[in-house]
Amino acid sequence: MPDGRPDTNLLVRERLSRDANDTDALFTLAALHVHEGRLDEGLDVLDRVLRLDPRYPGGWVFKAKVHRMRGEPDAAASASEIAERSSP
Amino acid sequence: MSAPEPPAVVKLKVCMSGEAMVGKTSLIRRFVQDEYDDRYIATLGTKVSKKEIHLADPRTGGASEVRLMVWDVMGTRTLRDLLKEAYYHGAQGILAVADLTRAETLRELDAWSASIREVAGDIPVYVVVNKADLQTERRMTDAEIETFCRARGWPWSFTSAKSGDGVETAFRVLVERILASRS
Repeated sequence: MPDGRPDTNLLVRERLSRDANDTDALFTLAALHVHEGRLDEGLDVLDRVLRLDPRYPGGWVFKAKVHRMRGEPDAAASASEIAERSSP
Repeated sequence: MSAPEPPAVVKLKVCMSGEAMVGKTSLIRRFVQDEYDDRYIATLGTKVSKKEIHLADPRTGGASEVRLMVWDVMGTRTLRDLLKEAYYHGAQGILAVADLTRAETLRELDAWSASIREVAGDIPVYVVVNKADLQTERRMTDAEIETFCRARGWPWSFTSAKSGDGVETAFRVLVERILASRS
């Protein structure tokens, strides 16, 4: 536990074992994938979050960032536009 | 006699920041629901809580109805920079939280603040040193906190999410500073 709290990977897996559609755990899992350089997997999980909750806080902004990291400016712009319209 | 002016309605986004386990979620819970739970449950993802507060606009003195959205975020340091845009895009103020019983949580506010400002610009920051009920376990003096915060131009105060002391005031002062900073 490098920053003092329980291991985030472990927390995510525990939460998803109880509820596979837990959007908070899925959002975190997407971030962990992206952090580890697995952009395709991260984006897949993030898309699942946004299908479950299209207004998930910060979801579209993060999706825009992942598309930018993948060199997809059009998809990034599209996600940013939705982010502006759907912010809570 | 004319009817009183209706309050101006203002929507504000405020974000919590700070290390894991400093009490960010507990402060929101105390502020929004006036509740406290001793069990620690690490935050995953992003949570937005809403609360309306009424106060005088410091610029005009007129009544304001502030619809506050408080964004709770994971205190996971390794994901801080990756998620900074997702968390802090459009934020108008920051409640930066340190833990009185862990000195490093105050120093780490520099890194949190830098991350936030890259996204949201120079927005008002208010520091709370939480867990003020744990005086016997404190690891920083008032003078150390004052020196740290004064050097950065950040006002600060103590809070206890457990007792509720200082919580409402901290959020209200931050909102007043945000309103005062709006042109």
